[in-house]
Amino acid sequence: MTDTGVGASLPRKEDDRFLHGRGRYLADIEMPRMLDVAFVRSPLAHAEIVGIEKPEEAGERVFTARDMDGVVPIRPTSNVAGHRIVGSPPMAFDRVRFVGEIIATCLAPNRAQAEDLAERVVPDLKELPVVASIDAAMAEGAPLVHADWGTNLSMETRFDSGIEEQVARATVQVTRTLDMARQAMVPLEGKGALAHYDARDGQLVVYSSTQSPHMIRNALCQCLGLQQRQIRVVAPDVGGGFGYKAILHPEEVIVAWLALRLKRPVRWLEDRFEHLTAGANARQHRYRMTAHADDRGRILALDAVLTTDAGAYSIWPHTNGFDAIQASGILTGPYDIGGYRVRTMTVATNKPPLSPYRAVARPGACFAMETLVDAVARAVGRDPVEVRLENLVPAAAMPYKAITGKEYDSGDYPASLRRARAMVDAVSADAGPDRLIGTGYAVYTEHTAVSTATISQIGVQMMPGFEQAAALMQPDGSLEIRVGVQSHGQGMETTLAQIASEVLGIDPQRVSVRHGDTALSPYSTGTYASRAIVMTGGAVAAAADKLAFKLREIAAHMMQCTADDVRLEAGELVGPGASMTIEEAAVIWHFRPFDLPEELLRDGLEVTGGYRPDGDRAPFAYAAHAARVAVDPELGTVEVLDYVAVDDCGTRVNPMIVDGQVLGGVAQGIGTALFEEVPFDDQGQPLATTFGDYSVPAASEIPMIRLDHMETRSPYTRFGVKGVGEGGAIAPPAAVVNAINDALRSTGAELCAVPATPRRVLQAIFDAQDRAAGKKEAAR
Amino acid sequence: MTTLSLTVNGEPVRAEIDPRLSLADFLRENLALKGTHLGCEHGACGACTVVVDDMPMRSCITLAASCEGVRVTTVEGFDDDPVVTRLRQAFRDEHALQCGYCTPGMLATARDIVLRHDRPDTEQIRAELAGCICRCTGYRGIVRAIARVIETKSQATAAKAGTT
Amino acid sequence: MKAPAFAYLRPVSIAEAVAALAEGAGGARILAGGQSLVPMLNLRVAFAETLVDIGAIADLRAVSDEGETVLIGAGVTHATLEDGASGDHWCGMLAFVARDIAYRAVRNRGTLGGSLCHADPAADWPVAMMALGATVQLAGPDGERALASEDFSVDVFTTALEEDEMLTGIRLPKLSPSARWSYRKMRKKAGAFGEAIAAVVHDPARGFTRVVAGSSAVGGPCRLEALEGAVASGSLAAEATIRAALAEREPDLDRYEMQIHATCLRRAMKEVSS
Repeated sequence: MTDTGVGASLPRKEDDRFLHGRGRYLADIEMPRMLDVAFVRSPLAHAEIVGIEKPEEAGERVFTARDMDGVVPIRPTSNVAGHRIVGSPPMAFDRVRFVGEIIATCLAPNRAQAEDLAERVVPDLKELPVVASIDAAMAEGAPLVHADWGTNLSMETRFDSGIEEQVARATVQVTRTLDMARQAMVPLEGKGALAHYDARDGQLVVYSSTQSPHMIRNALCQCLGLQQRQIRVVAPDVGGGFGYKAILHPEEVIVAWLALRLKRPVRWLEDRFEHLTAGANARQHRYRMTAHADDRGRILALDAVLTTDAGAYSIWPHTNGFDAIQASGILTGPYDIGGYRVRTMTVATNKPPLSPYRAVARPGACFAMETLVDAVARAVGRDPVEVRLENLVPAAAMPYKAITGKEYDSGDYPASLRRARAMVDAVSADAGPDRLIGTGYAVYTEHTAVSTATISQIGVQMMPGFEQAAALMQPDGSLEIRVGVQSHGQGMETTLAQIASEVLGIDPQRVSVRHGDTALSPYSTGTYASRAIVMTGGAVAAAADKLAFKLREIAAHMMQCTADDVRLEAGELVGPGASMTIEEAAVIWHFRPFDLPEELLRDGLEVTGGYRPDGDRAPFAYAAHAARVAVDPELGTVEVLDYVAVDDCGTRVNPMIVDGQVLGGVAQGIGTALFEEVPFDDQGQPLATTFGDYSVPAASEIPMIRLDHMETRSPYTRFGVKGVGEGGAIAPPAAVVNAINDALRSTGAELCAVPATPRRVLQAIFDAQDRAAGKKEAAR
Repeated sequence: MTTLSLTVNGEPVRAEIDPRLSLADFLRENLALKGTHLGCEHGACGACTVVVDDMPMRSCITLAASCEGVRVTTVEGFDDDPVVTRLRQAFRDEHALQCGYCTPGMLATARDIVLRHDRPDTEQIRAELAGCICRCTGYRGIVRAIARVIETKSQATAAKAGTT
Repeated sequence: MKAPAFAYLRPVSIAEAVAALAEGAGGARILAGGQSLVPMLNLRVAFAETLVDIGAIADLRAVSDEGETVLIGAGVTHATLEDGASGDHWCGMLAFVARDIAYRAVRNRGTLGGSLCHADPAADWPVAMMALGATVQLAGPDGERALASEDFSVDVFTTALEEDEMLTGIRLPKLSPSARWSYRKMRKKAGAFGEAIAAVVHDPARGFTRVVAGSSAVGGPCRLEALEGAVASGSLAAEATIRAALAEREPDLDRYEMQIHATCLRRAMKEVSS
């Protein structure tokens, strides 16, 4: 480790511009003759479009699906047998299937005027019956979201390892139904896109607030029938993504198409109302879980049914089945369980299409599994931590092949839980009549940096392959790194420079990381799946290795020794009797070519390196979380008093940034646990359309989270790193609800749904009171 | 249209504006001060917070027309502000920002907390930050950064008191 | 989310503002701090032909001590009341209530009068003002009139203001130093509107007792006189009595709503009695 390389808590290179308000986000880009877009969106969850009345003078300012001749609606792909898929059309043609679906696009010199125009577009809609929940969609004779399917079941999968033998041995059976509500992802900067046609380059240039510029280009090429060279996608500074910006949005297609059609810049900026209605697309799962255990709480088999409320369409590229596939693949979690049976059902409803939100599906899976483990512990009368310790995969079993087929590469799961318990136990909290105190735990393991093999199995259009990075040594010895992932808060301009520094010894202040622009960077599927530090970090190291080799060759020639004799130390090329700096070597190549032989001159100092983990295997990060809460049993309010996370993401490239990723993930997870929900009524109307109704936790709701880290190097990755971007968000719903149930133990109440709003908490208490009253009544 | 004159970041500004224009849109679109960010446009997220006559206000739900004669300071206008200078360093040291979108509003709010409170504890700082959403950091770094600046302020005050 | 177009006036006196309202003939609306109105305009759920911005009327920011009462200008901000800059004759109650309204940046613009006129059923000031026995001063083309806060609050988002009238001030009786009060608000997160609010004021020296509940569920501020006797006599009302008083006001409260309102009321009354 150098003091600027892997392992250094280097202050972030990106901070200065943000602290001075000099970031450049999508909305900050201005272009001459630019038009702003406002959409006319469906007020109904299911309706036939009978007609759309445009204002008379609308001309080339109002467009509908019928105007978009030749635009191919994008359709994601899937290898799952029988998977019924309909892609999101850019604009609805003859039918709308959720509130917020786009009916018409209105253009004006500014957004206010575009909204004025949108108000005057009158769609003639004929209401159709709505299915707004799993139950409604799966009911006998339910109205169909897609009539030609003959069902609302979009995808069904089954896995059965054989559980009969374990079930026969089990003495305890615990069954629970667990629900996670629908959420919006709420990056603070909304989605947005700005497109214009650059006649000189012959390119459609699309600025998009996206995590995955190349993926958006892939999609736009398919939709618009253009060659890849004809589109450039640029992600400027992106104000948070969380998965919301890892998918193609129909608005991107519309804006791109309009820029081509009108030959002038066109911009759409998602506002918060649009986000909370049309963008309410995450997390909604229901689990029916049965644990078959022995009387110590050792879980022998897990039998589960997972149903997702997947909305009306399949988003691109993941499809609507991504949540179900991810959740069923990790449901047994960090536990050593011998038998596993799971059925998943992906159900179409008249809601926005289900999309991957930070840690895709795993917060739901962890919530289901970990609340079930607590229920098992209660059933056998043992401490939930002890029951967990008995079930966790022990360190000695690593690498461990789980019943799901996944291979957990490394780590000590029980140790993380013991540490979390010790940390949370060290701080006490006072109880009172209005204040019941409880502690809850959750442990997870997380497949990070999803492998090519895994994706090809699912068959979605998002093939990671070998991640690429370019390292361009500049004439003065400074370095430009170009990568295809997009940094939107993760600090990759710093961490990737640290990796270059680790390999080359170069000062990170002499390194620039360029990202988020298809014209600059090598191809990449982008930033998702906690993959960037593993994949792109590895690629930057590979490129830096190549560069280091070339620099050593130059130095060797100048020092009259062999390249093997030259070491790179702290930016110096050190030979047996002499040394030179990287800068000197760069200057020689660029400005003194007569000093070098032809074979050293030919290929230059601009290199590309490619990387994937050894054997295309994914590193598994994991963590144990502990929450301590105070519950007011009369009001149902919950305060998180203390929150502890002990994670292991292998080697930490920048420990400060790792902390930031975990802290931010935990805060979002607490949002899922206690606050965030877009409820829909039975007509599919979203009921939380502003931050007045959709509660995002602020500092007032998030305690000073405490962290500890374990650092088990992954055997498969460069530097031993594992992904860390998403993990923090996985465990909080489980840990917080387990803590609430612990607090409520005297009341007999047990909560089985998140968010644990006051209404849900009190309802659980009422149910317990009614059960007790019923028992009393029966006894009489 | 209505006429507006005010001071922005120390410079006098006169403009003819559409009365429906928010202060945020006026700053961003008319004055090209893009550091003021819009996160909700209904006053609930805090990203657009700017300082108006020494008080933090939501520029998304303040009409520009209502700002006749006021002094507005945006994130671009804090360079000579000693409190914000210290906050910037503390935000950097405590990793109090990730994507940077909430940061200008956080700084305007943090500055007000530092100036209005002498010795707030962590709970008070958290409570004062209730109206500012950060979706990235989990808030710990922000709270710590503010606490750190307040600590140096009280030390400075104490040192000053000691010398007189 | 951009406001629809409107005309804009910025009068410098109450008389000018009232004239502008009359001229607007129902299409004009007062803009005070705008912290509720502007978001609603941005969302296009509120509309106006003309906004009459009263922010430049200095008289509306005045606070005058009248002896037994204080007249607080309608344009006084929440932050001013939070900081006690207008003087405290209410044993800290105004500052306490103000401190928990939305967020400081909103409180720096939002006004007492604006909140009362907006009449959000879950807002704090309508409840607190009713509990303190406030009267409101209204100005119209025919001069001024005063109304008790109970009479001013008509319904959800509805007050007794005529369309050509404006609220100019709030007259608050001072509390005696021995008075006790409690203000309980249950909310989902800091700064959010209350899910249930209970305000109790007991000023034995003046023979004044008020118990007021508020929230969207109960349809805005409501005085629960049936509970005031117990507070006045220093006894604790029975849970059943509290629930009966709430049910009389709002028969459709569900079990959850009943529970949170009853709990806030019980705790507030207990705090005042203890």
